[in-house]
Amino acid sequence: MFFDSVKFWNTFYIITGVTVFLFLFVDFVVIRKILKKPSKRDLASNLIVIGWFIAIVVHLHASLGNFFFFQTLFDKMLGISVLALATTGIVLIFKTSITTNFAQGMLATFGVYVAGIVSMRWAQNTGISSVFQLAMISMIAGAIVAFLMGVAIDVFIIRKSKYITSIGKQMITMGLVLVISGIIPVIFGIDAISVPRISSRPISFEWIGWNFTVSEHALYGMYISVGLLVVLFTALRFTKWGLGVRATASNEIVAGMMGVNTKLITALSWGIAGALGGVAAFMLAQGGTLSAGMMVSTQVNGFMAAILGGFSSFIGPIVGAFMIPILSNLIFYFSPLWQNAIVYLLVLLIVLAKPLGLFGKRIAKKV
Amino acid sequence: MNSLSLIRQKRIGQLKSLIHHPYFGFLVVGALLLFMQGLRAAGVNISITVMRTFGLTMIYVIIGLGFSILLGYAGLASLGTAGFVGIGTYLVGYLTTKMGFPIYIIIIISILGAILIGLIIGFISLRIEGMYLAIITLGLSEILNEVFKNAVEFTNGTNGLNMSTIVFFGTFEVINIETIFTALVFILVLVMVITFNIMKSPTGRAMLAMKNSESAAQAMGVSILKYRLMAFMIATVYAVVGGVLYMTYFGFSIPSSWGLAFSLNILAAIIVGGSRSIYGVLLGTFMIFGLDMAVFQTINVSPTQNASVAAFIARFPEHTEQLSEFFRSLNGAIPTMSYIFNGVLIIIVIMFYPGGLYQLVITLKAKISKLISKVMKKVKVYRYGEDR
Repeated sequence: MFFDSVKFWNTFYIITGVTVFLFLFVDFVVIRKILKKPSKRDLASNLIVIGWFIAIVVHLHASLGNFFFFQTLFDKMLGISVLALATTGIVLIFKTSITTNFAQGMLATFGVYVAGIVSMRWAQNTGISSVFQLAMISMIAGAIVAFLMGVAIDVFIIRKSKYITSIGKQMITMGLVLVISGIIPVIFGIDAISVPRISSRPISFEWIGWNFTVSEHALYGMYISVGLLVVLFTALRFTKWGLGVRATASNEIVAGMMGVNTKLITALSWGIAGALGGVAAFMLAQGGTLSAGMMVSTQVNGFMAAILGGFSSFIGPIVGAFMIPILSNLIFYFSPLWQNAIVYLLVLLIVLAKPLGLFGKRIAKKV
Repeated sequence: MNSLSLIRQKRIGQLKSLIHHPYFGFLVVGALLLFMQGLRAAGVNISITVMRTFGLTMIYVIIGLGFSILLGYAGLASLGTAGFVGIGTYLVGYLTTKMGFPIYIIIIISILGAILIGLIIGFISLRIEGMYLAIITLGLSEILNEVFKNAVEFTNGTNGLNMSTIVFFGTFEVINIETIFTALVFILVLVMVITFNIMKSPTGRAMLAMKNSESAAQAMGVSILKYRLMAFMIATVYAVVGGVLYMTYFGFSIPSSWGLAFSLNILAAIIVGGSRSIYGVLLGTFMIFGLDMAVFQTINVSPTQNASVAAFIARFPEHTEQLSEFFRSLNGAIPTMSYIFNGVLIIIVIMFYPGGLYQLVITLKAKISKLISKVMKKVKVYRYGEDR
């Protein structure tokens, strides 16, 4: 190994231990005795957790050096964008249907299979030679099919099961995972299908005295996902649909009474979540061969990100989607086998300390 | 009335009370399984695949019974089952092949370990509730899967761990599948009896109260802490013991078996069968796992291997190429058909019949007995005339 992993882990343990001590001290002494307002309580403990994350990242930067640190970040740009899209889809469905959608990843996989079929057929029949055009067309086709499928799932299944508990709805989505993963080989056959890569050119540039390399595909992926997320968040904030989503999220029955078309809102949310997933899966495939289980790890990471950031906010899961890949890929240099387990364990600890996530709000409930 | 008929009536009464005893059904299930094994030993043509299917399904029933206490009684959704079963398999594999521990010591160790794991997860479940718990247990299962993949000294990594001998009374003995099948039947009946007693005891009733309303249960003096921990402990013990039995019976464990799909299948079995009854779990597990292993995995419609398919294709000489291509891809897709079947069953059962298939059986039984009594009444009216 190039890096001094013993020294790294010792410092890591010290930082984490100090944070745990600080957290307990603040929780038991400062917050309970001095600060009595609930909003400031959350702020104080959030600051400690985010401070821990920043300290760990700074420590990683110090022990990896400029080149490895930033090169890893540039390499993982695509992973972060994909995870952000997938997580946003999960949270959008959580907001409107009050369930955690386990089928998000399978929906996305279905979309990317359609994209693969479209690109292969398209390439055979019309002879478009521009890879970029081909990739864009197939990606949009995949996203549209995933959108329609999401709408169909809502219309035929979720809408009919309005009065089932949220755990029951969660299990319905688990059933959907099984159904879609069984349908994929039936519809698309067992032969290998691949999607085109947007661009296979690497771009190298010089910055702070080092030569960094980024693949153009990852760059496009970042542009597309940032664009999609900006449009989505603007829509949530400023359009009638966004207002409807927020109203449905706060109370579906009252929103319906106030004239919000909750059926349309929910269907659109499922559709948009499916489309986001389709785009994410297309990016993730990177021109490789598709498989039915390709989105499973992204799905698990998306859940982890959402639970870390807090399901009840939109911005929290995005923060989570940044934290998880960054941590796991930087820790890789010090523990190449266990990086995922370590990150899941850290997320578990943070969630134990803050069960509602970093940005979650407690929803008061009548007994 | 003479004394002979009195004795006869008494005998019939005894027989009736025997039949209506709650353990009777479990014993019948065990006896049927043993009878099947006896038939095979007597030379009736029952294929090894069917026997293996029944053996594995019994193990899944044991795992599912623990999960049904967790889900159906305590109302806690967990996706960590696969990880715990995996722990059981690797525990027995490592302790037997490397350390030479006898099997009963291993079972005691695994139960103690499972209680510890259950306690930890129970404490986690006190902080994290409802839907989030499923996600967190999924995360735990992923962590365990990483451990199975990476702790090569204990688990032999992604190549999988083999076990062909067990230690019993100090000597290594080669595993005899038939003996273990018989042992499994007895263990299954024992586990069913234990589960029945847990379900009908104050513990089970307190868990049900907790499931329906936590606040109300707490107001009635049910300790949430105690019963949550207990539910997780029971489920984990069943899962780890199931893992130990799986390894002893099947002799091979690989990390990829213990992924999300396994947990989802167990969940499907419990929900489809009915999460609150033992027979429901039995029914659901046989539907989800048994049908998959005995039917879907054995169908082969490849035109080169299945004679009737080849004959069918030969009847359409002008479409030979398309048809054989169709059957070839269909043959590749058939193993995943069971996924569609399971998934559709889960969705339909949750949407339209939350009690599961066992509830359906009970409803049908009540309807039929009502119908029969109606018909009997009509018959009586016809024979003896109407009451006035």
